[in-house]
Amino acid sequence: MQFADVVVEPMTLRQVMEFPYKHSTGPVVGRFLAGLKEQRQIWGRRVAGGAVVVPPQGFSEWDGSACSEWVPVADEGTVVAVARVWQPVERLHPFAEPFAYILVRLDGADTAMLHVAKADFEHVRIGSRVRAIWGADGERRGSIWDIREFRLARAS
Amino acid sequence: MAFTAPPDDAVKYVESLVWLPYHYVAGDYRAVYLRALKDKRILGSRCDKTGKVFVPPVINSPESFAPCSEIVEVSDCGTITTFCIVNIPVIGRNLELPYVAASVVLDGADIPIFALIQECRPEEVHMGMRVEAVWKPDGERQGDHEDILHFRPTSRPRSGEWPRPL
Repeated sequence: MQFADVVVEPMTLRQVMEFPYKHSTGPVVGRFLAGLKEQRQIWGRRVAGGAVVVPPQGFSEWDGSACSEWVPVADEGTVVAVARVWQPVERLHPFAEPFAYILVRLDGADTAMLHVAKADFEHVRIGSRVRAIWGADGERRGSIWDIREFRLARAS
Repeated sequence: MAFTAPPDDAVKYVESLVWLPYHYVAGDYRAVYLRALKDKRILGSRCDKTGKVFVPPVINSPESFAPCSEIVEVSDCGTITTFCIVNIPVIGRNLELPYVAASVVLDGADIPIFALIQECRPEEVHMGMRVEAVWKPDGERQGDHEDILHFRPTSRPRSGEWPRPL
């Protein structure tokens, strides 16, 4: 018999591959995350030239010099980029409902931090003022998700 | 409340799960092969140019690159060409150690398949040994590779009736 004469029903197999990673945070990001959890405070670090980098790094991304002091920054800032996700992919994206990735430059910082907007995601634009929505005391676990999302700051 | 520095007691790690849902499609040749296992039949494909029989069936010969357009049936009995006694456990496999993994050329085929040899002591296994497939009972076969539980020693001689046209 020739294969060309065979009538074949498609045969498929669904299989899930999982990689449960534990990423070591290191001393700098580790203290940044501890600040979110224990102090409800976002910390940056000052680099040569005076700029404040948030989230903090061990070394300056401009010239490789060691960062110096820790600098507290506000939990409110200005949006510098928005990418709306209308059709989230299961488990690839952090939420099942539409949301937006945003880059927010917090007041007191000179770099922008990646986070999300959920409730206001359709209205958040470049230049919008947004503020952090914190997880409740006792629910923060030392992760970037201790900040649940950013929402538009009330006009004042 | 003003802090002068972040806590000294740093967070040690963050967890993240990479989750990859795959959807494999067997393709026509492999689907025909797997469905035939349900009927206790092992299929191969014959090279249009050299006449060699490949099991499981392939679309083109890896040797001559010619199409293998004919579908044939081979025996569920064959000869061990080489083997390995496994003494180290593998995660996700719960076979009793030691066990034997062997290359078996089924009667009618021109290349070996990989087979688990059971129902004998590992030290009895040798090159040229005749083995036969032990199938899952009727009604339990699903049309997958596990329809053949393992191979075991047999006295059935090599038969020239294979490969059979389908």
